[in-house]
Amino acid sequence: MTRNEIIDDLKKRFKDDITNIFDKSEKRVYVEIKPESLERCATYLFKDLKARFNIASGVDTRLHIEILYHFSIEYINLLISLRVKLKREKPVINSLAPVFKGANWIEREIHEILGVEFRGHPDLRRLLLSEDWPEGVYPLRRDYTEWDKTAIRDRGV
Amino acid sequence: MKLPKIRELLEAIKALITGPYTTKFPYKPHTPHQNFRGQPKFNPDKCVGCLACEAVCPVEAIDHRDIPDPQNPKRIMIHYTDTCIFCGSCEAACIADNEGIKLSNEWDLAFFDRTLAEETIEKDLELCEICGEVIACKDHLKWISEKIGELTFSNPTLYLSRLKSLRVIDENLIAASKDYGRSDRTKMLCARHRRETTLTTQ
Amino acid sequence: MAKSVIPIGPYHPLQEEPEFFRLTVDGETVVDIDVNIGYNHRGIEKLSERKTFDQSTFVIERICGICSTSHPFAYTRAVEDIIPVEVPPRAKYIRTIIAEGERIHSHLLWLGLAGHFLGYNTVYMWVWKLREEILDVMEILSGNRNNYAMFKPGGVRRDINPDDIPSAVKKIDSIIPTLNRLKKAIVDDPVLHVRLKGIGILTKEDAIDYCALGPTSRASGVAKDVRKDAPYGAYDQIDWDMIVAENGDVFDKVVVRVLEVFESIKIMKTCLKNLPEGEIDLNIADIPPGEGIGAHEAPRGETFHYVRSDGTNRPARHKVRAPTFMNLPTCNSTVIGETISDAAIILASIDPCYCCTERIAVRNEKGKKIYSGKDLIRLSQQKTEIIKRKMRIK
Repeated sequence: MTRNEIIDDLKKRFKDDITNIFDKSEKRVYVEIKPESLERCATYLFKDLKARFNIASGVDTRLHIEILYHFSIEYINLLISLRVKLKREKPVINSLAPVFKGANWIEREIHEILGVEFRGHPDLRRLLLSEDWPEGVYPLRRDYTEWDKTAIRDRGV
Repeated sequence: MKLPKIRELLEAIKALITGPYTTKFPYKPHTPHQNFRGQPKFNPDKCVGCLACEAVCPVEAIDHRDIPDPQNPKRIMIHYTDTCIFCGSCEAACIADNEGIKLSNEWDLAFFDRTLAEETIEKDLELCEICGEVIACKDHLKWISEKIGELTFSNPTLYLSRLKSLRVIDENLIAASKDYGRSDRTKMLCARHRRETTLTTQ
Repeated sequence: MAKSVIPIGPYHPLQEEPEFFRLTVDGETVVDIDVNIGYNHRGIEKLSERKTFDQSTFVIERICGICSTSHPFAYTRAVEDIIPVEVPPRAKYIRTIIAEGERIHSHLLWLGLAGHFLGYNTVYMWVWKLREEILDVMEILSGNRNNYAMFKPGGVRRDINPDDIPSAVKKIDSIIPTLNRLKKAIVDDPVLHVRLKGIGILTKEDAIDYCALGPTSRASGVAKDVRKDAPYGAYDQIDWDMIVAENGDVFDKVVVRVLEVFESIKIMKTCLKNLPEGEIDLNIADIPPGEGIGAHEAPRGETFHYVRSDGTNRPARHKVRAPTFMNLPTCNSTVIGETISDAAIILASIDPCYCCTERIAVRNEKGKKIYSGKDLIRLSQQKTEIIKRKMRIK
């Protein structure tokens, strides 16, 4: 299927789930979907279109927490990014780890760094932060303040 | 099985004849290639003291200290050797034809005392004649007036500093002119007092 | 979990990038494996939001010491994708030269370490001697042996002097005969065949399910390479081949990396001889609000950067994904079922950045630690000795 056929097919198949499509250039498409339909769209992209899962990026904007899931379809050189917007007070979404194993580690990382809860993840422990890091302190949020008063700051940091 | 062994034997004999590959540092000195990026060094004749290198440095390894002493005003440019990452951004940003700070070939920089890891030069400063604030380095004002040509004469700070450096005027000429109430127009001033003398009268 | 095992200590003075593998064994066979990472987490994504776009390139360069070019390459492509804009042709060729030089030195480093794990210490020394020639070439071209500081959004920062090119090409040519001998020595050696064939197999379905990248997945038959699928730089103007193998065991991973070195030498020499004239920098004034994605094929797989800008001169969000992040979980399917003496070489075959496989502790069912990382390497070297002796008797 060519690039435009794939995008038109996505628009028809998921027309209740997609809220916005931004066709940025020949190789980049950003699709915004509702959080409930993430599993349906991701399974379709991974299993039927045979796209490869690149990574998931979590972003903290002032209004909500966004997670972008990047999939790439190599034979036509297209990168589709699915965007979900979650509420800032209590961000919850279904996990993609049961669908493909490549999503396991990145969901652990987003959980401990941004505070997003993934329902259905088999093993949601800490990946990067150490054991003595306090609970509830999420380093990548905009309102993060330094909790360790004895930290030493060197020139240039 | 024999053929691989003969191949390896040839390589081993060649290595025996040519000797070990490691260099004899520190018993023999090592000179790197001329393109090697070593420690940055200030050039006191070319540097104009504009602080462009300090703004661009990614790790804040360049700093300055102003001494606004009315008799002997000086700006000290400091480069911290222990923080520098030898990237060359300062050399690329230098406005004096990339010569004010240049990356040399020195690489043997180990030291024992961290407080000594800095290199400094001094430049002469120009102070405001009313309030004593810092304007800029004398060489920087000269660089600006050379760049803008005849537009220099629109700003008393610039043309006075230029003519003084050419020794066309000296202190006696300025003091001898009569005071019609606007004598502040022919003085070297900081930006705030320049605005005040232009917009107000005595 | 952490109470019954006494680790050597991830902050060991000899280690640079520590990780912690915990293997559960039953006799000689590995039954379970667990990976603990995060000992080297430096908060680079948060730091990158406090520097400007140009200054952030130097922070990104120091994420990894070996693949030091792949991260700035992907980052500058992501920033240029926000606008979007293409860099001038001379800048594309210079970027390709630096990237391929880094691939050669990284694969040679891994070959030496693999030789050390198997007990072939002579291979270790010879291959690292070859690697010194490549590092000298990088010093001539860019000014430093490791962190090259050549990239900036919009082009490259420094030009290549045409007087330096003949000496650089001569140095690259001087290592080709030894590399040919090395390739034949590795492919023909019967001890290596017994030691590495059929060990640590990663099937094609698992490679797709874990989303593995780089030589780890190309050795399992998944023919994906960013340089061929989404061409950038000078890769679409030069004739070169992608190396793919079928079986997915450790021997195929070695062969894929050795053959990739020859392709990289070909690309580097062609680019050096055919450098086009022109500008090297676009002088981008400011970055509009938006988001951009950039990818580059590092020696270990695909590096992926996502940058979001809000119109100021600093990034609003910068997401970094190194290829080892997707390759490390595959050890769950390759190590379980193998013996302890093979565990060291299987974990090293995915090429984690620096030899993180030394940070291993092995405990038996009761939770007592019986082996350390050094012991595993010693066991692996002993197995090679046993195989060599058996073959000589035959």
